[in-house]
Amino acid sequence: MAEHYDAIVIGCGPGGSFFAKTAAKKGMNVAVLDKKKDLGSPVRCGEGIATQWDASYGLPLNAKSIAMRIDAALAIAPNGKSFRMAGAGAVVERKIFDKFLAIDAARAGAHILPKTLVTDLVRENGKIAGVKAKRFGEEVEFRAPLVVSAEGMENTIARKAGMKVQHTLYDTDVCYEYEMANVPCEPVIELYFGNRISSRGYAWIFPKAKDVANVGIGVGGETGADPKALLDAFIRERPERFKKAEVIEVKGGDISVGASSERLVGDNFMVIGTAAHMVDPIHGGGMGLAIIAGKIAAEVVAEAHERKDYSRDALVRYEKEWHAGEGAAMLKRLKLRKAMEGLSDDDLNFIFENMDGNDAAKLMDGDFKSVVAKLLLKRPSLLKVVKSLM
Amino acid sequence: MTHRVDKSKCFYCGGCVSLCPVMALVLVETNVVCDESKCTKCGICVKGCPARAIKVE
Repeated sequence: MAEHYDAIVIGCGPGGSFFAKTAAKKGMNVAVLDKKKDLGSPVRCGEGIATQWDASYGLPLNAKSIAMRIDAALAIAPNGKSFRMAGAGAVVERKIFDKFLAIDAARAGAHILPKTLVTDLVRENGKIAGVKAKRFGEEVEFRAPLVVSAEGMENTIARKAGMKVQHTLYDTDVCYEYEMANVPCEPVIELYFGNRISSRGYAWIFPKAKDVANVGIGVGGETGADPKALLDAFIRERPERFKKAEVIEVKGGDISVGASSERLVGDNFMVIGTAAHMVDPIHGGGMGLAIIAGKIAAEVVAEAHERKDYSRDALVRYEKEWHAGEGAAMLKRLKLRKAMEGLSDDDLNFIFENMDGNDAAKLMDGDFKSVVAKLLLKRPSLLKVVKSLM
Repeated sequence: MTHRVDKSKCFYCGGCVSLCPVMALVLVETNVVCDESKCTKCGICVKGCPARAIKVE
């Protein structure tokens, strides 16, 4: 027996839940299938999210889901010099935040189905018409005219649907993280750059209380470096900060650091969030982007649903809106990431010493020219590395 | 030649599944299952494993 819905979402992370909530509010019958028995676990990230959200999103960022509120990010050069970028954010408890998002989707009328592993697509007359899944030892078929991949990194079903979303080592950072107690923290996110710390990645300290933090590191996948060895070295080299530190939890995972995939929509199929590489190439944040994508996609789907047309043509406005907005911004930050890969520690020290938070905000917005010109005036030898930003 | 996952190291994060170019890997709760008939022993999963839990030999 098959179960019938208007849309099936694979993956109950922030993107999948937010899509389901938005589509259900518009009257659609949506099911969210997740392979795990408990949502939000295992945690694979630093748990940081910006909090300057439009109130219409109604995100469950509250005293229970937020571990600590943040008011700035500190970028730290190899020589220890730093600059501060103001910005409101939070470090959340993913296990709580993800569950609250799923509860919000359920309250809006969506069906949440944990412990349901999607194994393949169902096709009918050559068209995608649902998915096959295993639930509590039983094979179940879920039928819908639209399947949405919110699968995260493991985007196997999207690949089976013919979407070009394969992750590569070059565009992946391999991450290792400890949640540690007895680490003194301010309400700021700390990002440590430098080739010695991590080749093409960075180390981070994200506070979850005044003496608890996620301490992690990401390293470029193609380097083959062991992220645990790099993280242990990072901690060892800071004995003052970590002398009383105790590991409370061990986390890890791979994250996409390329820009978003070009094609996000096919006939009867859409991809949102990390499954479509919607992760910031500079800071590796993906929760906010997945939620934004989920909202745009659901609004487009609701219109297509009224006309009962789930063709690529009917859904493509999501892809276009994404690439005109967040997608374009990500492409600029990918350029920035690629330029940073070519910098020596000495160059990084020089750049950090000659930059402030305003300059950094300009770079993150893709407004490279004035900052790059200022740096080149003082150190012309940077030209070969940063010319792609000119 | 086989694809082995050391369960005492594995985080079941699914990183290997996401990087496998031939979709030979599936993560089922805490088990990474490899379809040996698809696996080409390319070693990408070995490099991409944050926990260094995979050996292809």
